[in-house]
Amino acid sequence: MNDIFAFLYRPRIAPRDGLSLLFFVALTALAAWLRLNAYGDRIITLSYGLPLLFCLWYPDRRLLWGLVGVSCLLATWKTFFQTPVIGVDVDISMWVIQLFNTFAIATVVHLVLDFLARLGAQKTLLEKINDKLVAREQEITRQNEELQTQAEELAQQNEEIQQQSEKVQHQSGELQVQSDELHALNIELGKRQALLETLLGAIQVTKQDQDLPDRICQALLTLFEGSASATAVLEKSSGKLLLQAHAGAVRPQRLSWEFAHSFASVVMTHDRTAFVADLQTRPDLIVPQPAIGAWRSVLSAPLRVNGSPIGSLEVYSDQPREWTTQEFKILEWVAAQCALIIEVRGLHTELRRANTDLDRAVRERTAELQEMVNELEYFSYTITHDLRSPLRAMHGFAEILTEELEPLLNEQSRLYLGRMTTSATRMDRLITDALSFSKVMRHEMDTTPQDPAALLIGMIESYPMFQPPRAFVRLEGAFPPILANEAGLTQCFSNLLGNAVKFVEKGRLPELTVRAEPRDGFVRIWFEDNGIGIAPDMQARVFVMFQRLTKEYEGTGIGLALVKKVAERMGGRVGVDSEPGRGSRFWVEFKSA
Amino acid sequence: MSSVSSSSPDSSEPSLAGPAPALFYVEDEDNDVFFLKRALGRAGVTVRLTSVTDGDKAIEYLSGRPPYEARELPRLVLLDLNLPARSGFEVLEWLRQQPGLSALPVVIFSSSGRPEDREKARRLGANDYMLKPASSAQFTALVTDLWTRWLSPEAGRVEPGKDQA
Repeated sequence: MNDIFAFLYRPRIAPRDGLSLLFFVALTALAAWLRLNAYGDRIITLSYGLPLLFCLWYPDRRLLWGLVGVSCLLATWKTFFQTPVIGVDVDISMWVIQLFNTFAIATVVHLVLDFLARLGAQKTLLEKINDKLVAREQEITRQNEELQTQAEELAQQNEEIQQQSEKVQHQSGELQVQSDELHALNIELGKRQALLETLLGAIQVTKQDQDLPDRICQALLTLFEGSASATAVLEKSSGKLLLQAHAGAVRPQRLSWEFAHSFASVVMTHDRTAFVADLQTRPDLIVPQPAIGAWRSVLSAPLRVNGSPIGSLEVYSDQPREWTTQEFKILEWVAAQCALIIEVRGLHTELRRANTDLDRAVRERTAELQEMVNELEYFSYTITHDLRSPLRAMHGFAEILTEELEPLLNEQSRLYLGRMTTSATRMDRLITDALSFSKVMRHEMDTTPQDPAALLIGMIESYPMFQPPRAFVRLEGAFPPILANEAGLTQCFSNLLGNAVKFVEKGRLPELTVRAEPRDGFVRIWFEDNGIGIAPDMQARVFVMFQRLTKEYEGTGIGLALVKKVAERMGGRVGVDSEPGRGSRFWVEFKSA
Repeated sequence: MSSVSSSSPDSSEPSLAGPAPALFYVEDEDNDVFFLKRALGRAGVTVRLTSVTDGDKAIEYLSGRPPYEARELPRLVLLDLNLPARSGFEVLEWLRQQPGLSALPVVIFSSSGRPEDREKARRLGANDYMLKPASSAQFTALVTDLWTRWLSPEAGRVEPGKDQA
């Protein structure tokens, strides 16, 4: 059925023109032959329409309607022209029936073809729709598959996230544990730091020596909080074990015990930390027991000073217990610190004693020196006064002799008397100069800003020996302020000016130029004279005490030595630049103010 | 102790009408007393010079204790610093505390030129400070100066007790 239907509904393709013409001719020839020749005498009602049925198979409407035309022509020909010939009557009704049949069949075939064509178009349309639907379905399927894949991926990711979340949760837990541990360590560290601070603080406490072991015990008790009831520092002293300090609620029964049978002696002898878990098992060991109740367990560490044990640091518990490695470590650590502090304290005490001794020695020595200085000062004063009095008397009487014996004196005796007076004067000046020098050596020279030009002008104006016609002194250029002591500076300048006008060839007017030259934080003041000058190899000697280069000029040999000393005491320097016969250029240098 | 009256041989001064002014010299060095007397003569001034050799005697004299009941208050005290027993400074300090003597002119006459000594003398109320001269010419000049400033009758009208240097 289906096949027939499929055959019928097969989309009809119009046959080619040539083929249709061929079929038309063949069928026309066949119908003509059958009607006119084979069955010329017979009337077959439906035969004209039969070839039309061929068109159901071969759907060409031109062929259909061509065959209708041929069939009509053949029926007409046979009815009206062939049969009468053979003697048959023309049957008009038959002809009409034949034509009607032909047209009826043709119309049916046409309608069938039309219907089939429409069916085919419908089918094509349906098929198209179907194709679209299939395509759509495939599309949807594909999308579905994709969605499925995505869903799977999402599920996988979800799972991974779940795993990571679990991991994070786990790590968080671990961190919490670590944090707790850190917190505990922190508390422990805090305790240790507090102890260390106490210990360090103890070093600095210098006056309360007794306080130190107490502080250590207290700190130790804090460290052993919860596991120990009391702590003590014990020290060995001439066969006895002395309680140096303790901390805890209950005071010890006594302050000293027999060293020989004490637990401390065991610890000290073996030089290592040890404990007794239950003291009731060792009644032979002496342990500093409290006034009320009894210790059941003890942990003890030796205190080593300079490498050898001198006592022990102990913690006690009122319950029998095993002491942990951690507690061992803490006690040993504190014992080490404690011993170190005791050692340092010892050194401190020694140092303090040495310092005190030294202080006293220095004070005594200073006092002695001060006394010596005072004596020296008094001695100087005495020299000024007592030594110079007879000199003045010598001088005075020599003068009186010269005056009163004038008529009786001859040349020679007048010369002798003259020598006496000049010698006495010279001696007097030596004494004064020497005193000035020693004074410079002894006294402090406070420096303040000074104006050298003002000082020089003042001196020149006060002394006729620096003024015309006896001398010509000139200040040249600017004088920057300097740091000096006024009295010292006056001494320097007066000596330099005095020297410049003194050491000049006889009969020559002393000329002196003073000028200042800034030199890198210092000011050098030059005194340039037209005097006799100094040979280069002698220049260093002019600043030496009592060193004189010539006997032709009066002098003590102290002046320039004094200048040098004074300048140096004020942080300055002095020097000379000279050639014999061409004058000298003395300079003195001070810090600029 | 020595009490000497020194008078000028040729008394040309008009001021000789009254009694010569009294000068009290505290000095342990005989030579200096000698030089002063000689200088007084050379300068041609007439004073009644009294001298003692230590600080204790100076105080006894000035306060009029025995054996100096008959003492006359001098017009000027010339005071050495370095003395046996009490020093010149002590004498000066004591003097300035005595009701009847505090206005007495005092000139320090010393061989010490130390600024400390000068300052201390000024602080304790000395009227002047003179260095002992080295030559007889200077001695004479010094005595003349003393006469004009402190001893002559005219000097009284000039305000004594002020540093005129």
